[in-house]
Amino acid sequence: MDNNKKFITGAEVAVQACIDAGAEMMYGYPITPGTEVFTGWIGGGNKYLQTEDEIAAGFSVCGAVMAGQKTFTATAGPGHTLMQDGFSMAEGMRLPFVSIVAQRGGPSSGTVIYSQQEVTLACFGGNGEGMRIVYSPSSLEEVYLQTRLAFNYAWKYRFPSVLLTDGYMLKTRGVVDLDQFKDLENIDSYPLIKEGEVKHWRNIYTFEEELYEELEKQKKDFEKVRDEISEAEEFETTDAEVIVIAHGLVASASKQAIIELRNDNKKIGLWRPITLRPLDDKSLNKVVKGKKKILFIESSMGQCAKLVKDELDPIISIEMEYLYKPAVGIGVDEIKEFINKNI
Amino acid sequence: MISNPAKFCPGCGHPIVLMMLDKVLTDLGLRDKAILGLDIGCSLLAWNYLGLNTFQTHHGRVTPTVVGYKRAKPDSISIGYTGDGGAYAIGIQNLIHAARRDEPVIILVVNNTVYAMTGGQTAPTTLQNQKTTTSPEGVLEVPFFGPELLKNIAHEDAFIARTTVNDPKTCQEYIKKAIETQKAGHFACVEFLSMCPTNWKTKGSDTLNFLENMSTVFKLGEL
Amino acid sequence: MFKLLLAGDGGQGIQLLSNIICESAFEKGLEVTHIPNYGLEQRGGVSLAFIKIDDNKIVYPKFTTPDLMLVMSDQARERVENHFGEKQEVLDIKDFKETLVGKGIISRSYNIFFLGKIFKILLEKELIDINFAKNYLKNKLSSKPGFEDNLKALEFGFKL
Repeated sequence: MDNNKKFITGAEVAVQACIDAGAEMMYGYPITPGTEVFTGWIGGGNKYLQTEDEIAAGFSVCGAVMAGQKTFTATAGPGHTLMQDGFSMAEGMRLPFVSIVAQRGGPSSGTVIYSQQEVTLACFGGNGEGMRIVYSPSSLEEVYLQTRLAFNYAWKYRFPSVLLTDGYMLKTRGVVDLDQFKDLENIDSYPLIKEGEVKHWRNIYTFEEELYEELEKQKKDFEKVRDEISEAEEFETTDAEVIVIAHGLVASASKQAIIELRNDNKKIGLWRPITLRPLDDKSLNKVVKGKKKILFIESSMGQCAKLVKDELDPIISIEMEYLYKPAVGIGVDEIKEFINKNI
Repeated sequence: MISNPAKFCPGCGHPIVLMMLDKVLTDLGLRDKAILGLDIGCSLLAWNYLGLNTFQTHHGRVTPTVVGYKRAKPDSISIGYTGDGGAYAIGIQNLIHAARRDEPVIILVVNNTVYAMTGGQTAPTTLQNQKTTTSPEGVLEVPFFGPELLKNIAHEDAFIARTTVNDPKTCQEYIKKAIETQKAGHFACVEFLSMCPTNWKTKGSDTLNFLENMSTVFKLGEL
Repeated sequence: MFKLLLAGDGGQGIQLLSNIICESAFEKGLEVTHIPNYGLEQRGGVSLAFIKIDDNKIVYPKFTTPDLMLVMSDQARERVENHFGEKQEVLDIKDFKETLVGKGIISRSYNIFFLGKIFKILLEKELIDINFAKNYLKNKLSSKPGFEDNLKALEFGFKL
């Protein structure tokens, strides 16, 4: 047996990533299926506070990062909704807020289990323009890597960052080798409010034009983030006639389906957004150009598809089909069946 | 009158409170007028337990929801049913303001010192030195005294009280008084000290001992 | 790829079984995924374990039709209705109840009895490290009451 491998849950992987990222503090509130990130962090002897609710957790993270402490929270579903209050302040004030979100069925209390229905909330929640970094991991290794990246890029670019995963991923125990990431470096945190300096951090403006200018500046910075770190996977897309677009666990199952269909010489590929925000639109438009069809597959009613369609080059006119299964998992066989119906 | 089998753990205090509520409403002929709002947590398991109209809400939000219902249907008997987390952590703000405005609703708080449904995390009423999954070294803070806080804010004709599931007679008495208070147009809040052997990890008489110890910390009686 | 779905009432020891099976397969150097599923209530609901064992990396932990299904209660059987299928081995408590009672196996050891049967199946398919499994089980159960009953149940299951 390979001694580098471990058999652990997604939640344990996420906790390890936060520790390895140099996170010092977690503000949390119990909510299924994210609670194990909180209790796992606590069990490791790390500093934490259980707040009175997710709103308090969100704002406490904001305060902590302003003082320069690498801090994060973890939540899910209705807690994610409440967390948007603090998260959108982080968006407005450019705070390095890191959050791990475990999607569960929605809306309202939905289920405590799984979905991909919090994409819109993670990408565009609050009353802003969605200038946040959102990762969607499709394996345990990616849970680890993307959590590390979420911390690094939150502090490098000062946009709030989300690891948008789900209840299945966090509760699944699987085999994972984290040693492959041992050379990954951390970007340091630093105090945004320094002694010896006097700075005023605002999130409200008196005149419309002031806010407009501020948002234009932020948009420029966000586009720079897109250029530098937006990421997507192009799997078997070059000679494909039909492209599946999926993210997270559904993308993993889709990949497996495509591998099996390729054995039957079906020309299918997968375009997988790794960053949902900012989306790698260059890769997207390169891949779909000239293709016959796009198949959107997700455990929601098209939240990812909406995101993607918004970034498609307006010139592109392409047939689209959808497999929308909100709040339920989508397995390899179901995906194969759907693809076969559409080629 | 039970609608459906219970999903509460063996030894849970919820069925006792709910049975007493059911009995009082039946005795007073108020079943039809009653609406039972539920919070998130083990209280949500009561949603189809009794033969009453019920609705689930969000965590901590049963208070403003029953406020809305009662204001829309003043002849109802509007009851909110919640746990110590929903009442005193995430929902404390709503509870304080309902008391302050003397909203004619009844809020029943079942206090078992933990967030039970999510696996036993710290709650505002967790006892000092009590260990939970989010306070592995034991809680340092003094527990939260909800009825005492509300007494300072509520109207003088509001009914604020605390009893224990170990005393079903007083449970019934206080529920009855709460209903009379609502009929007279005032706010009522009753806290019930309750049991959670599942998360306390107690068996048999240890569970009762824990409950009895709770009443040395949380004073019983009308405030 | 071998898929197991274990289903029982909370408290019947489904998660213990899945832990032993998974750790033993992992010890053998195989790829394993395990995902549990519970109801909302803390007690009395159905406890499910979806387990996949494979040589290759497993991309998706859930499945519809297991190769091996364990059903330990009526409630659980209802819950896994949609997971029955063809070419499947089903271990259902209703088929073994009489035999178990006749042999004097106590109900608290039913899960261990089924573990014995599952060990045999997995061993034939070379999916577990049996020595590791036995030691792991001993470690987990030796401090609990009814160890002798459990050993008896395990052997009976393995041999039956």
